[in-house]
Parts: sequence; structure tokens; C-alpha cells
Amino acid sequence: MNKFFTNKLSIISFIFIPIIFLWHPNWLGFLGVQPYWPLFWLLPWSMINGSVNGLVFGLFLGLILDSLTLDNNLTQIPGLMFCGFLFGRIKLNTDILAGHFRHGLICSFGSFLCGTLHLSQILFKNFSDSSSLIFISGIKNILAEVFLTGLFAPFICSQLLRMFKVSRIKLH
Amino acid sequence: MFDIRRISSSRWWHKKKSWIFCGIFLFLVFVRISKGSLYKDFFYFISKPFWPGQFQKEVIVKSIDQESLIKLNLIKKDNIRLRKILSLQESSNNNKISAAVISRKTGGWWRQIILNKGSKDGVEIGNIVTGPGGLLGRVKNTSLFTSSVTLLTSPESKLGVWVDRSQINGVMVGSGDDHPSLILYSKDADIKVGDFVSSSPASSLLPPNIPIGIIQSIDNTLQSKKTAKISLLAKPNVIDWVQILRGNI
Repeated sequence: MNKFFTNKLSIISFIFIPIIFLWHPNWLGFLGVQPYWPLFWLLPWSMINGSVNGLVFGLFLGLILDSLTLDNNLTQIPGLMFCGFLFGRIKLNTDILAGHFRHGLICSFGSFLCGTLHLSQILFKNFSDSSSLIFISGIKNILAEVFLTGLFAPFICSQLLRMFKVSRIKLH
Repeated sequence: MFDIRRISSSRWWHKKKSWIFCGIFLFLVFVRISKGSLYKDFFYFISKPFWPGQFQKEVIVKSIDQESLIKLNLIKKDNIRLRKILSLQESSNNNKISAAVISRKTGGWWRQIILNKGSKDGVEIGNIVTGPGGLLGRVKNTSLFTSSVTLLTSPESKLGVWVDRSQINGVMVGSGDDHPSLILYSKDADIKVGDFVSSSPASSLLPPNIPIGIIQSIDNTLQSKKTAKISLLAKPNVIDWVQILRGNI
């Protein structure tokens, strides 16, 4: 049983992303905004398995998360796929401390990218109505999300990266 | 002959991995099309031990009393008005279902709550959801055990509302923050900060006179219309129990 969990750790943790996304703990938020959870999993996964894998799992994550949100016309798939592809191009760093900070910066950038894509979709959809009001709250959302994602990424990504590596070594 | 066999055995459809990949992809497409029903029902079971308890009851009862007083006042006025007009249908709100909030997204991009009552309990898409204080939103999606509600603060939400003092109809649009915007398509509309906003008797989506909020600030800068920010009476970020109004308006 223990061996099963070690081997399938990446997949088991993948299943938990939508659960955390739904759980949405308020005490972890900032200005009512949460960190962008899927990037914490996508970064270590893509770094270990490469761009194509990152792209595919970005699509998978996007499909699941889109199904849990109510906005039918907005999608998270392009942002996550692009991030998955981009993260796969990044080489693993041997320096542990630099690695931690790098994870924070990369996830912040990914969150900024996904947030901007999301906001542009909202603005495009509500172009005629009250786009200026939505734009201001959208910018606030992006900044808060970027800050939180960057803050948590060094802890979560490094831990997941270590666990995925161990699981991969045991698998081979 | 040997060469042909070697080439054909290397086709993608001969690889087990490709079929597993296709299977996973199809499953995820199914999850997407079913709007995550499986996931939401799974979440229903694992979040069960953490559902809100009875300790909130006193707070809720107090808020409901306040809400009832405001509602009673509104209904009296509306009744007099309707007696004059005699053309609007009556609404019946007796058919209520109490539900607990099991997932809450009240900040950020997605403004929705998930309730622990679904199609099994008779919840239907389009049902109205109210909490202590007033209107919260409408049911957008249901699974067997859960229902997802679009909050008034979501940019997806657009509802017909009514300023009680001056009896003007307007549209309330979620703007992605905690204060939705009221749009009145008349520059001379008589509204003041502190005016009470409720659901419009002319709305086809909502029953009339459900308390919604109070005008917080007014923006007069636009040429052809007047906009105002509304402070909602029901706070979706703290409410743990809600009421779903079943049936047609």
C-alpha cells in the first residue's frame, strides 16, 4: 500500500487540486483572493516530465477546473497549457535556496499570465457593459493572486518537486 | 514481410499507453461536459464532517427577524400598489429548502457557492437563493447532491432590481468585487446614498421584494446613465446556511 502511494504520488496529488480549489480556505486568502493552486502542482510536474507532458496536464487541469466554475464562456485551459509548456522548458536547479526563490518567481509569473488571460476574457465578454468597473477589480485580483502564489510556491513546489523526484527514482 | 510487421507494431494504436491516454482524455471531457458533477458529489462526501453546525442559529434568527421586518414593510407598500394596478401575478415563496454552504468562492475571479442540496432534494436550475439579510444569487448548476449558485457579485450575474423610495427599475450587474453595480438608464433618476434596493416586481427571474442591498455611492460621470455601488445585505462570505426558493415565480 505504501509503495502504491509512493509510486502514484503525483497522480494522487493531482486529484487533490480540484478539492483544494473547491475548499477555498478563507484564512489563506488575501483581499478575498486565493493563490492559484493548480500552478503549484503543474510547475514540479512539468519541470520533471518536460514541456509536452506539462502542456497535456495543463489541458487536463484546465478541463477539470473549468467544470467546477460556473462561467460557461470563460476558460482556464489556455493559461494552464501555456504555463505547463513554459515550465517544462525550465531546467532543475541544484542550488536549493536559489531553487526556492525561482519557484516563487516562476509561479508568480504563471499566475500573472493566467490572471491576465482570464481578465481579458471577462473584458471581452462584458465589453459594452461596465468594463471599467470590472477592470479595476480584475487588476486587484491579479495582483493579490500573484502575491499569494509567489509567497506559497517556494514551500509547496519545492516539497512536491522533492516528492515527485523520489517517486520517480523508486519507479525506475 | 518481417519489415511490414515491425512497422505496423510501432503504430500508436498498438501501444497500451496511447489508449490509457485517450481514456483519461475522454473521461476528463466527460467531467467537463457534466460540469464536474462527479467531483462535486465526491466533495460533498469528504466535506461532510466539516459542515457548519447549529451554533450560528442565534445569529441567523436575529438576521431573519430584521429581514422579515424590512420585507413586511415592502410587502405592505407593494400590496397597496398592486391593488391599484391589479395586473401582476402573485408569488408564493412558501416552498423553501434549507441548505448548508459546503464550498465558498467569494473573492477573486469566481464568485460562487456550492450547497449541500441538489437535484435529489428538488433543487432546480434558476431557483433563487437567499440568506440572512436577503438575496444571495441564483442556482446555475445542480448535481445529484449539490447545487452551485452564482452570487450577485459575479460578473455573470445580471438582475432586474427596484429602488424602493423612488420606485425606479434598474439593472444590477456584478462587477467582480464585493459591491455590485446598479445601472439606471436615465441620467435624471432620483436615487440617493442609503436608498434601499430590492428585487423588481417587473423581473421575470426573481420574486418581487426580496431585500438586496443599500446604495453606497453614486457615480454621475457617465453621459447617458447613472451607476451606483450597492452594499449587499446578505454577506456570502460569512453565511453558512441559506434558503433555496423552489418553484416558479
